[in-house]
Amino acid sequence: MGTVLRQGSAHVGRLIRGHPIAFTIAVFGSTMFVSAIAIAAVVIGNITDDVIIPVLDGGEPYADRLRPAVLLIAAIALYKAVGIIIRRVGASWLQIRSQMDFVSRLIHHQYKLSMPWHHGEDTGDLLAITDNDAGQATFVLGPLPYATGVSLLLVGALVLVTSIDVWLGLVALVSFGLVVTTDVGSAWFIFGGFEKLQRMVGDVSAVAHESFDGALTVKAIGAEDLEVERFSKVSNALRDQRTWVSVRAESFRTVSEIIPTLGLVAVIVVGGYRIQAGAITPGEVVTALYLMSLLSFPIRLIGFVTWETTFALASWRRIARIVEADDLIHHGEMDPSGQATGTEVSGENVTFSYPGRDPVLSDLGFHIEPGETVAVVGPTASGKSTMVSLLARLWDPDRGTIQLDGRDLRDFAARGVSSEVTIVPQESFLFNLSVRENITLGQHFSEDEIRAAADLAQATPFILELPHGFDTVVGEQGATLSGGQAQRIALARSIVRKPRLLILDDATSAIDPSVETAILTGLRNAELPSTVVMVAYRQASITLADRVILVDDGRIIATGTHAHLLATQPVYSDILTAYADV
Amino acid sequence: MSDSTVVQALRRAFQVAPTLRRGLVVTLLLAGVGTAMSLVVPITLQRIVDTQLVGVDAIDTGAVLRSGLVAVGAVILAASARWTSLMRIARFVPAGLAELRNEAFSHLHRLSALHTETNRRGAMVARVTSDVAALEHFMEWAGIGMLIGITQLILAMTTMLFYNVRLALIVIAGVAVYGTLLLWFQKLLKRAHGAHRNTISDSMSAVSESITGLPIIRAHGAEAETLSRVDQALSRQFVAGFRTARFGAFLFSSAEIFAGLITAAVIGFGVIFGARGQLTTGTLLAFLFLVNLLTEPVQMIVEASDSAQAAGAGLRKVLTVIDEPVDLPDSAEPQPLPTGSLAVAAVDTTFQYPTGPPIIRNLHLSIAPGERIAVVGQTGSGKTTFAKLVARLIDPTAGAIHVGGVDVRNVSFSELRSRVSYVPQQGFLFNTSIIENIRYGRAAATDEEVEDAITDLKLGDWVEGLPDGLSTMAGVRGQNLSAGERQLVALTRAWVANPDLLILDEATSAVDPALELRLRDAIERLAQGRTSITVAHRLSTAEAADRVLVFESGEIVEDGTHIELIELGGVYASLHADWAMATR
Repeated sequence: MGTVLRQGSAHVGRLIRGHPIAFTIAVFGSTMFVSAIAIAAVVIGNITDDVIIPVLDGGEPYADRLRPAVLLIAAIALYKAVGIIIRRVGASWLQIRSQMDFVSRLIHHQYKLSMPWHHGEDTGDLLAITDNDAGQATFVLGPLPYATGVSLLLVGALVLVTSIDVWLGLVALVSFGLVVTTDVGSAWFIFGGFEKLQRMVGDVSAVAHESFDGALTVKAIGAEDLEVERFSKVSNALRDQRTWVSVRAESFRTVSEIIPTLGLVAVIVVGGYRIQAGAITPGEVVTALYLMSLLSFPIRLIGFVTWETTFALASWRRIARIVEADDLIHHGEMDPSGQATGTEVSGENVTFSYPGRDPVLSDLGFHIEPGETVAVVGPTASGKSTMVSLLARLWDPDRGTIQLDGRDLRDFAARGVSSEVTIVPQESFLFNLSVRENITLGQHFSEDEIRAAADLAQATPFILELPHGFDTVVGEQGATLSGGQAQRIALARSIVRKPRLLILDDATSAIDPSVETAILTGLRNAELPSTVVMVAYRQASITLADRVILVDDGRIIATGTHAHLLATQPVYSDILTAYADV
Repeated sequence: MSDSTVVQALRRAFQVAPTLRRGLVVTLLLAGVGTAMSLVVPITLQRIVDTQLVGVDAIDTGAVLRSGLVAVGAVILAASARWTSLMRIARFVPAGLAELRNEAFSHLHRLSALHTETNRRGAMVARVTSDVAALEHFMEWAGIGMLIGITQLILAMTTMLFYNVRLALIVIAGVAVYGTLLLWFQKLLKRAHGAHRNTISDSMSAVSESITGLPIIRAHGAEAETLSRVDQALSRQFVAGFRTARFGAFLFSSAEIFAGLITAAVIGFGVIFGARGQLTTGTLLAFLFLVNLLTEPVQMIVEASDSAQAAGAGLRKVLTVIDEPVDLPDSAEPQPLPTGSLAVAAVDTTFQYPTGPPIIRNLHLSIAPGERIAVVGQTGSGKTTFAKLVARLIDPTAGAIHVGGVDVRNVSFSELRSRVSYVPQQGFLFNTSIIENIRYGRAAATDEEVEDAITDLKLGDWVEGLPDGLSTMAGVRGQNLSAGERQLVALTRAWVANPDLLILDEATSAVDPALELRLRDAIERLAQGRTSITVAHRLSTAEAADRVLVFESGEIVEDGTHIELIELGGVYASLHADWAMATR
């Protein structure tokens, strides 16, 4: 816990250094606020001595003594309110700004990291870190200025009470000290159990997810009772841990709640003795009492900030894993050619493995002519998709090179490869944007270009039937599209960029064969004859290719026309047979 | 959403999870006693001030000490009561919530929606996680806090009324206005939050798309545009968030001014009343402290009312699930199935989802014990629905399905599941070892029985090729295995269950030829000696079957052996011709 607090403070310190002015403003407001508390206590004490006791016990007339007293209290309230506004405005600016900074920094950095890094990450996890942890890592900034002010007030209050009377000062010191120690101690004592609790919340959610995903199987084999038993186990463990944490947290809380009350009683009693000794006036006792009673809630902020610091640190550690990752993509200096013709593609001795796995591709060599249409065919998991993703430099080969017109992909400047090569993946991904924006992805294309791309992708007819045509919002929260329609929009997205190499990774699987034929024929006859490489399953689409590359177990075992392979390669006909029923 | 419905929802929750209200009255009484702690200071102050400090010549320090000791005793007594109450809450609330969570989970598994409406699954997980957590927050913090706050309000007001009615009424009126102001502010703030929330969900969507869509964005060179879209969404969220926070700061500070005004009024009127001899010094000082006891609980109650609404919303969602009637109820008076292979019959069976056309229409059919049936047809023709009806994974909306001559609705689930095995298209594996996954077929199966099953299905060398043999972990959703391998585990599961009626919804995914051959082999062995219904995606399966059923638009349009149907020259013949042309 010592390390946790030290590293937590370091994290908070960095956040403050990011926006020192906002923090200073918030602390200034907080200081106004806490000084209002101290002033109110002194004023109430003076009013007790100068107004209340003389009038109520001395029988003196209140005359013109009352009005200033009442106005003074009201003025202090106003001053206090201004302090609250400054503190809250400053603190919330600081917190929200820091949170947004984190989110932005997380995303920007993820965009610099290489595919091997991304491959090892779970997208859900990355999302959770960006959504939740960026908030959790900064929430401590909300109460921090308040707590800073309170710490100042604690010192001020001790000085004030001690200056009234040393004995009362001693009572205040013991009372404040015990509360802060108890609160910080409880954070130290319970933190581990609380972390465990959070993990158990995750366990319950994981079992529910898995069990519901497999609901059909569970029902079909009558395993409901087994599943309920499995869920109860994690659910009851969560229950026990929750009780463990609550029992301790609430016990500590009870202690830190009675200490200030006992302290106040002690002030009254000790005050009685000191008044009798003639050391102080009743009003001064009231000042000490009032001050300590107004402090009994704010003082808890110090423990609260301790807690929040530990949470912030846990979140910061998850954030740091991303923003401090240094597995960046490296680019060369070479600019794209700007030529408007299909490119020649070649691979030499290409070997590739996903991080920590056996090689998926071994020693691949191939050569594709400019403007050629090539189908890549092979059994599942034979390396087809991996091979074409290397052509788009989504990954780099472990050994060997991939070249476009003799230029190594790794020598291209940033965004150079994507200006010559686009890939349409197996699963079409649509953004929550209009059809038009889904095609342009925010880059500039003329209306004619967009239209032409949609035409080539055979997408225009159904797009025009959507409620707002090209301006219809699609994607998760937008209009529902069929799989085939989504694939055609994804295709238009690639075509509009007039790539010199167009890669279709089983990108037409949900499109009717006749439409698919129209698309592939259209691409051949388009004014920009791209080189096309497609991973294909259907015989109909394979026959449209000039040439077939047959892949099995990470190796190219043959290339040639469809008819040639059918005649010479038994594996090839087996694969087409297996696909035919799909 | 009114408060009364929150109360109703709580009442229903208490029925489902009785531990939640176990000893609740005692717990609340103890909490009430505990709250009295806060009154100790003002009352002690009043007594000591009035009897010892003013109007007397010499202070009786002994009396002061005695009053102090009484106060300490009272504080400790009250604190013990509160602590006991909190400990009871720490035990009963998590236990009650676990009951609620477990009940919701097991009820969800009784609903067919869980496996038919796959798009609602995320929401269903929320029912047993975050919705219950919203209630937890309320029960452990806000609900109790609210009750303690109300008790403190009542106690403080009663004490004030006891001390001085007129001054008390002034304070109470002030606090009432203060509370109303806070409630009103809360409403204003909620509205401001609405606009803020929209920007939050916009930027969350931009953020999540930029992460999930990263490969696409990279492949199209649209990084800069995407990042600037994210940054714009974030700065809109910042502006809206900060505006809301600023608004809140002004609202709540004005409430603070109001609290200051109440204090000023207490001093003003207190001194005036005191000058007329209606109020002692000690009482007036006690009032100053009591005012502070009022403003805090009012803030607490207003905040907690928000949490109560959230808890009510979450709880209602959980209860809606628990109160949803079971659409596949287990038979109340189950009839036994005959021994041996089971016959199957459909009697004028129709099935449709509430919003949609019939998927199975007026089906009449009879399958003899031991017959091997292949079901073929286009996607969407009703093949899989038919298979699920026979396995009673769904019930017909009209007509009936008979197995072994008994309406399946009159067969107990325990018997039906042990005699009838349904193997779905995508065999689902749990994140445990392969052997445990196989045992899902029959929990009591011994290691030897599982190994025998592997041998009988001729899968021995496949298992040997796995990193840890049968102990190999399947991974989340079985991701450590290929689709075809998952199917093999599902088939072994069915073999271990040793059913008298086997229903197979064959795999559609293109698996590699070697594994494909293995699968076909295993299926054939599995089907031997039992009634089997195979939804065939490969017509080679149909060629080998005793009888072929051809589905089209929810009806059986052809019924006969492979040879007969080829000769018929209808739907099946043309399907078969297409298939043969593509493959041979």
